[in-house]
This record gives sequence, C-alpha cells and structure tokens, in this order.
Amino acid sequence: MKPSTISNTVKTNLLIIGGATILVALFFVSLFVGKFPLSLNEMLAGNQMHIKVFLTLRLSRAFVGVLGGFALGVAGFVYQTVFRNPLASPDIIGVASGASAGAALGILLLSGTFMVTACSFGGAVVAVLLALALASIDRTGKKSTVVLAGIAVHSLMQTVLMFLKLSADPERQLASIEYWIMGSLNGINSHIIGPNSIICVICLVALVLLHRQTLLLSADEGEARMLGVNVSVWRLVLLMISTVTVACIVSMTGLISFVGLIAPHCARKITGNNNIKTMLLGGIIGGCLLCGADILARSVASTELPVSIFTSLIGAPFLVVLLVRGRDRL
Amino acid sequence: MSLLSAKGISAGYGNRTVINDISFDIEAGELVGIVGSNGCGKTTLLKSVCNNLAHSGSCVIDDITVEKSSAKDIAAVCSYIPQKSGINIDISVLDVVLMGYNPHLGFLEYPNKDMKEKAMNVLQQVGLSGFEDRNFLSLSEGQKQLCVLARAIVSDCKVFLMDEPESALDFSVRYKILDFLKEMLEVNKKSALVTLHDISLALNYCDKLLLVNNGTVEAIAEPKKDDLSSLEEKLGKLFGKVSLREVADSKGKKSLVMIRES
Repeated sequence: MKPSTISNTVKTNLLIIGGATILVALFFVSLFVGKFPLSLNEMLAGNQMHIKVFLTLRLSRAFVGVLGGFALGVAGFVYQTVFRNPLASPDIIGVASGASAGAALGILLLSGTFMVTACSFGGAVVAVLLALALASIDRTGKKSTVVLAGIAVHSLMQTVLMFLKLSADPERQLASIEYWIMGSLNGINSHIIGPNSIICVICLVALVLLHRQTLLLSADEGEARMLGVNVSVWRLVLLMISTVTVACIVSMTGLISFVGLIAPHCARKITGNNNIKTMLLGGIIGGCLLCGADILARSVASTELPVSIFTSLIGAPFLVVLLVRGRDRL
Repeated sequence: MSLLSAKGISAGYGNRTVINDISFDIEAGELVGIVGSNGCGKTTLLKSVCNNLAHSGSCVIDDITVEKSSAKDIAAVCSYIPQKSGINIDISVLDVVLMGYNPHLGFLEYPNKDMKEKAMNVLQQVGLSGFEDRNFLSLSEGQKQLCVLARAIVSDCKVFLMDEPESALDFSVRYKILDFLKEMLEVNKKSALVTLHDISLALNYCDKLLLVNNGTVEAIAEPKKDDLSSLEEKLGKLFGKVSLREVADSKGKKSLVMIRES
C-alpha cells in the first residue's frame, strides 16, 4: 500500500472516531437538557421522579436522536448512491411526504400510536413505489427523471395531506397532524420506541452489510448490469430497506428536514469517497445533527420548538451553497 | 472452438432496426475490431453481444448462451468497457477497480487482501500507479477509461468488449494500451471485440475486422492474412476508394496506413 492510502485511511478512521466521540458527548448532553432539571445526584440518591424522567423520557429521546439521525444519514447515503443523484434524499423523492399523508390518515381514521406509525410507514412505501413507477416510464435513464418523479409524488402526497387536513376535526385531529408534520422528538418515550428501533437497527445492519451492492449501483444501469448486478432487484431491495429505515424514524418523530440530504454530502466532501466508511461517517454526522438540533429545540426558547427548524436552519444554507458552487452535477 | 459465437444478431431502438442479421466468431487469443462510420451500429452490436440490449439471434460466450444467462453469469465470462463510465458520485479509483470482482463474489462477500493487491498491480500496469486513492470523478476522461480497463482486467473474464477504447486516450497511451491488451490476449488466450474509429489502429492491431455498413457486415477483413488489394477492396466498401501503404518505423517495424484516394 502507498503511504498516501495509509494516511487517508488513518484520516478517515480518525474522523469516524472523532465524530463518534462528539455523538456520544451530544447523547449525554441530551440526557440532561429539558424543562425538568434532571440531576445525576438525585438519581444516585434514588429520587424516583428523577429516575422515571430519565428512564422513560430522556434516555429514549436521546437514543432516538442518535439512532434517527444515524438512520437518516445512512438512508440518505443509499438514496443518493442508488439514484446516482447528489440531491436525492428521503425528503426530496417524496418518501417523507408519503409518510406524512400516511400518518394523517392514521390520525383521522384509526387510533393509537402504533396505527399512526403503521400508516406512516405504509405511506412512505407507497410514495417510493410510485416514484419508481413514474421514473420507469422514461427509459432514457436521465439522472433528473427520478427527482422529477419524486417531486410529482411529493406534490401528490401534499394534495392528499391537504384533503385529509380539510376533513380533520380542527380542535383535535388537525392539531395532531400539524404537530406530527412539524417534527419533534417531544413525544418520544420508552413505551413507543421498541418495535421501531428494533426494525430500524435491523435495516441499518442490512444496509451496512449490503454497501457493496449500493456502491455497484453508482454505475449507470447498463454498466452495473455488465458488472453482474441484477439492477432492478437490488435497486428495489436497497430502496425498500432504506424506506423502512426512514419510515421507522419519521413515524416516531414526524418530518425531519435535510438530515438525509446533508449528512451523506458532508461525509463525501470530507472523505472524497463513497465507501462503507463514508456511509458510517454520514450516519454519525446525521446523528450529531439531529441530536444537536434536538438539544437546541429544547433549550433556546421557553417553549420547545420543532426540531426541523434547526435541521433546516443548518441544511438550507448548505443546499444553496451546494447549488451555487455547482460542484455536484445533476 | 470459438470463444465467442454470434449468430443472426439483429437489434435496434424502438421500431428502428440498427443492426440486421450479423454473424461472426472469435477464436481464443484474437483481437477483433468493429469498424464503420458513425451510426452504423457498432455500439449496438457490442451491447447486443453481451445481452445489454434486447436483440434477436443468439450469442454464445465461453459456452454460455447470453440470452439464457443471468447478468452475473455473463459478467463472469465477458467484460464490457463502455465509451464513458456512468459513475457520477465520489468514489476512489481503487473502489472502482474492485467492482470488477463482483461476478466472483457472493452478495455478502467483499474483496479480500489478495484481490486488493492484484487491483493495485493492474492499476500500475495500465499506468495509474499512485492513483488508487484519488477520486474517480477528478480523473481525465482518458484516465477514467484506463481505470475502467483495469476493472475489466481484474474480473479475469475470457472476453473483453470495448467501445472505442482509443477515443479519450492520447496518441502514445492508445498504442501502449493496445500493445498491453494484445499481449494479454495472446498470453492468456482471451479475446476482445473492440469498436474502433482509428482505422490505422484497427489495421495494425486487429486479427480480424468486421466492416459494418448500414447495420450489416459488408465484409470481414484479416489484415495479417489478406493481400493489400483485397483489403483495399473490402475497406473501399465502407470508405470509398482507398489505398493502403506499408510503412516502416526507424526500427523496421512495418505498419499499414490507409489513404483516401482523391
């Protein structure tokens, strides 16, 4: 191996270790930020209130902040690589709006967190399938086709959402829908995170194990096929796993903007590569972003703010800079 | 026995037929060129042969009928090197080359240390030593083509299908690469089917030339066996009246040069 390879490998490894350290630090900070002044001494002294808040609310919330950001970063990495488009993300290709419409349907017609989560998941899957079906109509293989299909699906899902909002009871259901859409980790508690977290972790493990297949799809369709890849099958498998990953998170938190877009971008800009380490670094950056944004959402104002305000505040300028500089080709 | 045998290949796009009823064989160790004007169907033929484009007829590569085989089985016997790689996302040169091992790996398997070392050696052979850690997107078009060639070489398949490999390479590199390819084919008893625009390269490197015109093979020329007048007659069907001259370099190595008659 050449010295340059070693130094770059070491550099990337150090970045992963550094990022993971920051993520762990943010996790611990997140445990002690919030309206209720949680004290370590009180917990050690056996104060039941403090222990209950810690175990039921704070631990779950900090865990979902880390896991959710990591999952959105990794899923964004897969979306961008599979679609061969640096602007592809769960937000842009309509998955997130599909999840919103699904959640709204769940809030209107069914009851219980589990059903809302299940409907949100179903909405996300329908959206990605619709986007793929629309994109397959154009056989030229243009890179912009999927994004355009995603925009169409996004608009369609927004229309469905609007219709559902109009049908909602303004006092109760509409507020729930709006709150869900704003995206917050406020409602997270230990009673609801179990199944979603387990499925999400399984999907993440699968995505990490299948990263070689993801990488092969970064070649165009014909080229990937000639490398021995069953393109349509693997594209569907990887997108479905990514969609399930995203659906697991957004069905618990509501919409989280920009994390899935900018986290893998940052990772690629830092490593100059698109391999497994870039995927992991994208996940770590996503985790830091969501966990950090959640800490700010809980601490900058007297009332808690939606977490997407802070992920968007960081994400939107980044996207503008990206487009203006034109480094990434559409 | 032929390493590649194509029988009655016809293909096109939509309702437009681009190539019609083309048949040919390639023996082990042979470098076969496809020559013809722009739009005559060279790339269409190349894509059909490896089943990368819907077609009628049949093609057998190393005992595998491509029309009945999976993408992975086809990739294990033939490597396609496109005119331009479609990779458009940041990825290291080494990772691009390692993609070539995919036909030999299970879906949860990864390239091992030996494979990585071989990939580094092949990068050195194609003149990209020290580039393994570079971003593929930062390479020139010629370097990208060399990187994709390295990917094809590590896949260790029997037949190479190359679409205008010389198009993005400068004068000296195209000769170097074709010398390297020719030697590799002869030593390892592999074959290559190559579309070429540069007729001098085609005449001096290829064992056989498929002269394609309007989607059909007008003639098959064998530059090392056919006499000059016969070659001129065959090439004339594609390019009009032409003359061939044999010229020697300072070391006495002879090459054929084609001149268009006024």
